[in-house]
Amino acid sequence: MLSIEIRGLTKTFGPKVAVNNLDLSVPQGSLCGFIGPNGAGKTTTIRMIMSIIFPDSGELRVLGRPSAVESKDRIGYLPEERGVYRKMKVGAFLNYMGKLKGIDAASTDKKVRSWLERMGLPNEYKKKCEELSKGMQQKVQFISAVMHEPDLLILDEVFSGLDPVNRRLIRELIDEQHKAGRTVIFSTHAMFEAEQLCDQIFMIHKGNKMLDGSLQSILAKFDPRSILVEPTDPADLDRLATIPGVISSQPAGKTTHEVRFSETVDPAHAMRSIIDSMPVRRVEVKRATLEDIFIDVVLGRSGAAHTDRENLRNELAAASSE
Amino acid sequence: MNRMFAVAWREFVSVVWTRGFLLGVFLPPLMTGIAIFAVFLLKNMEGPRVQGHVVIVDQSGLVGEAAVKRLPEDLAARSKEKAEQIKKAAEKATETFKLPPDQAAQAKAMADMQTKQMIPSAEVRAELGAPDQDLDKLKEILRTTEIKAKGESGNADPLLAVAVIPKGATEPDAEGKFGVFDLFVAPKLDIEIQQGIERSIGDAIVDARIASDSRVKAAGLDSKFLRSMLARPNIDAVTITKSGERKSIGELQMLVPMGFMILLMVSVMTTGQYLMTTVVEEKSSRVMEILLSAVSPMQLMTGKILGHMAVGVLIIGIYGSVGIASLIYFALTQLVTPMTFVLLIGYFICAAVTMAALMAAIGSAVNELREAQTLMTPVIMITILPWMIWFVIQRAPNSPLATTLSFIPVLNPYVMVLRLGGSEPIPSWQHPIALLIGAVTSITVLWGAAKIFRIGVLMYGKPPNFKTLIKWVRMA
Repeated sequence: MLSIEIRGLTKTFGPKVAVNNLDLSVPQGSLCGFIGPNGAGKTTTIRMIMSIIFPDSGELRVLGRPSAVESKDRIGYLPEERGVYRKMKVGAFLNYMGKLKGIDAASTDKKVRSWLERMGLPNEYKKKCEELSKGMQQKVQFISAVMHEPDLLILDEVFSGLDPVNRRLIRELIDEQHKAGRTVIFSTHAMFEAEQLCDQIFMIHKGNKMLDGSLQSILAKFDPRSILVEPTDPADLDRLATIPGVISSQPAGKTTHEVRFSETVDPAHAMRSIIDSMPVRRVEVKRATLEDIFIDVVLGRSGAAHTDRENLRNELAAASSE
Repeated sequence: MNRMFAVAWREFVSVVWTRGFLLGVFLPPLMTGIAIFAVFLLKNMEGPRVQGHVVIVDQSGLVGEAAVKRLPEDLAARSKEKAEQIKKAAEKATETFKLPPDQAAQAKAMADMQTKQMIPSAEVRAELGAPDQDLDKLKEILRTTEIKAKGESGNADPLLAVAVIPKGATEPDAEGKFGVFDLFVAPKLDIEIQQGIERSIGDAIVDARIASDSRVKAAGLDSKFLRSMLARPNIDAVTITKSGERKSIGELQMLVPMGFMILLMVSVMTTGQYLMTTVVEEKSSRVMEILLSAVSPMQLMTGKILGHMAVGVLIIGIYGSVGIASLIYFALTQLVTPMTFVLLIGYFICAAVTMAALMAAIGSAVNELREAQTLMTPVIMITILPWMIWFVIQRAPNSPLATTLSFIPVLNPYVMVLRLGGSEPIPSWQHPIALLIGAVTSITVLWGAAKIFRIGVLMYGKPPNFKTLIKWVRMA
């Protein structure tokens, strides 16, 4: 059973193609990360899923229906552009949102109070929204997205603007929703967040799908099959290339080299042969990060120039620091 | 449906339940109410009782004695005449409007009250000054005169005024023209008494002119006859209508369409302004998309329009009932009929939906209020135009111009409301057509606005111009 099914989705804004012929399937109960740098088309895709804007072409099914409008009450959505009514009281705002989401009037207020309690905001019920800090406002918005216990939770850039403590809180809450069997989709440009949380990854760049699959399969597919070696004596660095089975040895820092083995060599075996041939300070199997994979996918595995890779890396870093 | 009403209710409360709105809307009628109450409290207050004397310096030698003699009599007669006038006006109103007995009694009570309050009772005598009297000395006394009401301590017989009648006042110059006289009065002299003195001395001078003219004497005429001959007949016009004859109500009839117009404009503009402000606020505070996660743009817009129209109805209700209350109080209920109010509400709905939809569309397209100004100018023109042609329409409510304007979309609710209270009844076939045009217009504008709204609410950055807005309407 799929929560979201997208076929050939395309959306253009004037001359700009925001989303290009996108296919995507999100299985029910999965925790799916939409990743990509700013302007990749994440928010546009999510807005189309939410029927806030409509695609130029392509098919879309949400919770088994052709439009999210028909199942709005079963979806919780936290948009990227989010705010609160500045002059409204927190309790009144959440009660209003509850009413709009179809929670019956009798239980809304009880839900609001218990959620505020959980979020550590029990005394904010009667405060005006503008009196809250930005982090607190984010929590209130999060409550408004989940309070009606939706089957599908879509969180657009949920971590932006949060301090580490609140990031952790939100992460725990997402995990909790996931464990309760709900499908959770969240978009982020901070790839490490996705790596920590998701079981499904959907990678998008300039409106095109780059990658789609479970985190495990992606990490396996992009295993760099290389080992980082730091010999005790830097003079030994040159000898690394002579070890049997090694294809290449390239500097990866002042005293460290990245050593690549052929496909047939078992990593454990390769590490042993390195340790046998020289005294080492550090030997480590290199793991690909999503960021590395993203850069590889966007620029091609080896073909791209070093400066391009750095540029893209900087772009991602700049986006995360916003 | 429920959600739309939830939106409407929140909008209504968020506007109405603020200090600014409560003050702005309830204060003016409240103050009117207090003023009316205060008038009741003043019921038993009396006009000032003035006592003192007037010095008449007669340089012509023809006026003085007569003037001194008639001044107290004239003042007394004037008071009596005024009281009579007020009483007559009340009786006339009772008769014209066929007031039931209780309202007639009320009108009579009002008249008595006015008589008491407005007409000063005066105990003023006049004395003749020497023709060569030192005027500066008299003026000095006037300057320091303190007028006290009777019974208060102080000078019981202060100098109130000095009249100087020059020779030229009774003797024509070479061209046959008479001169005027001077009147110097003490500060704070009651205006009613001052006018009485002016009138009395003026009359004395005219009498002296007539009496001293040899030709008049030769013809055997006297001043009383000449005066009654010269008096212009004073009449009340009678309007002949299809349903019969009635006395013209005149100025009051002009006030009714004006009142309706103001009521319509205030409520429509307030509604529109508040609506636009909230849309812009929802956009700039980024709450918009959160709302759109729960309701569709159409639901949101319709809910907002309903909520703000309820505010408009509230404003009409408050001011309208104050208006009706004062019409009842002043016994003028026949100026409007219940049907008028039904039609007024009908036209209000057409005008308010159109305006609210336009404002919602503008609000959705911009990022902050400042940017809305350029887009709002043409919309505000719609409401100002009827003001500019107000006079033309109310003078001739059934003129071809007025009739044509009544069928021009967007403008027509305002024009119809102006004509509604006018002196001539509107041909009955025009109401359904005008209402139909109003309804079609508002639905069309609503439809276009919904398209702009849907695109605009999520659009940030450079605000669009009219061309872009029209493109949005054509899109999707």
